[in-house]
Amino acid sequence: MKLFQTLSTGLLILLVAQSAIAQHMNHNAMKAQPVQSEHSVYHMDASWTDHRGESFQLADLQGNPVVVVMFYGNCTQVCPILIRDARRVFEAVDESLRSEVNILAVTFDPENDTPEVLRNYAIKQDLNIPQWHFTTAKPADIRELAMLLGVQYAQKSDGHFSHSNLVTVLDERAELLTGWRD
Amino acid sequence: MTNFIQHITFIVLILATFMAGSEQAFAQENPIQIPGGSFHSILPEVEGEPIEVEDFYMDELAVTNADFLEFLEQNEEWRRSNIPAIYADSGYLKHWKDDLDPGENVKPYQPVTRISWFAANAYCRWAGGRLPTLNEWEYSAQLMDFDSAEEMNEFANELMGWYSAVDVQNTKTVGSTDIENRHGIKDQFGLIMEWVEDFKPPISNEISLDCGTVGRMQKLGNTYSYAASVRYITRMSFNPKMTTGMVGFRCAYDAGKTKQQAEKSL
Repeated sequence: MKLFQTLSTGLLILLVAQSAIAQHMNHNAMKAQPVQSEHSVYHMDASWTDHRGESFQLADLQGNPVVVVMFYGNCTQVCPILIRDARRVFEAVDESLRSEVNILAVTFDPENDTPEVLRNYAIKQDLNIPQWHFTTAKPADIRELAMLLGVQYAQKSDGHFSHSNLVTVLDERAELLTGWRD
Repeated sequence: MTNFIQHITFIVLILATFMAGSEQAFAQENPIQIPGGSFHSILPEVEGEPIEVEDFYMDELAVTNADFLEFLEQNEEWRRSNIPAIYADSGYLKHWKDDLDPGENVKPYQPVTRISWFAANAYCRWAGGRLPTLNEWEYSAQLMDFDSAEEMNEFANELMGWYSAVDVQNTKTVGSTDIENRHGIKDQFGLIMEWVEDFKPPISNEISLDCGTVGRMQKLGNTYSYAASVRYITRMSFNPKMTTGMVGFRCAYDAGKTKQQAEKSL
């Protein structure tokens, strides 16, 4: 619960900063801009596909806070908790600002988690809403994002994954100023 | 012998470059097929269930400075002066003279080093492949044949000697170690350490050079188990932005994909 509060507080702080920017920015979330920081996750140029079958690049989310959670659809133990935590962060945001937040739920398991499977997952979780993107990509791109965020995962012989449990909040420039350092 | 191998390597590389033409380059050499199988990892595993590895292809040799230069010529965002800080620390290709000039002291057929995991991952993607997984790399590394137990032990001792004193000032050229597995994959030992896709598995906290780990390794009865533990533990100290003179890479390819490439080139 304490972690949840910390995350919520962090996000709200981000949103306060964000709201000033939001006043004079285009609210269309899917508009790529030049990447603003050397430390930004938005340098990734991979193509991602969400559960609606829409393709996008991470930089398309630039300008708004993004909550990233990595999971896989067949995960019945920890992953539902991770998704629930991300949902709590999302719901803790004031309703008037909620439309400016994107939640990126990225699968470790692109082989099984096709956009169709992810769509069913989103519907089942009652999260088939515009700000939520249950997302897949090429395995090397998923691994690259995980490396950027410091998420570790490995597939086990039974098809399940062992993985770190991490919810990451990115600010409008998606800078990673903690984690891997020079 | 070394000169001869260098010479042959040079010819192969020239031919590969010629054959690749102006299209996106695939592997600089013909990748070698590694038939699937199983092996015992030093990582904890379900008892009686060794790790299964499916058929895959892997580069015969580590990626060279010449190969990496070609990648940089076509992908300016990965050049030393352009790469964003999120993808590499400040040592990235520091030993090269300039963005597209390795300089006189860096030989074209030495393995490229001082590249981050992100750069290695991007190179393999560009080359039509991917980084080998930790399990694929380790599986290939233990597919070696020896004539006798003495020869095996002698090799294991040499290997430990190498791991304890990797000489990054005098890196050999690719293909020059005379060490290869039974399928012809060269230099997995004795040249550099190599990036793999998942170099830091999530169970990393359970692995350390303590008595438990050493005891588990001894039970494997594997010639390389001690050396393997050094590799696993060393990798766990890596981070993906890291660049060092000790670490380079080679690429792997899914079996299906490489067959298509092979058909295309016929």
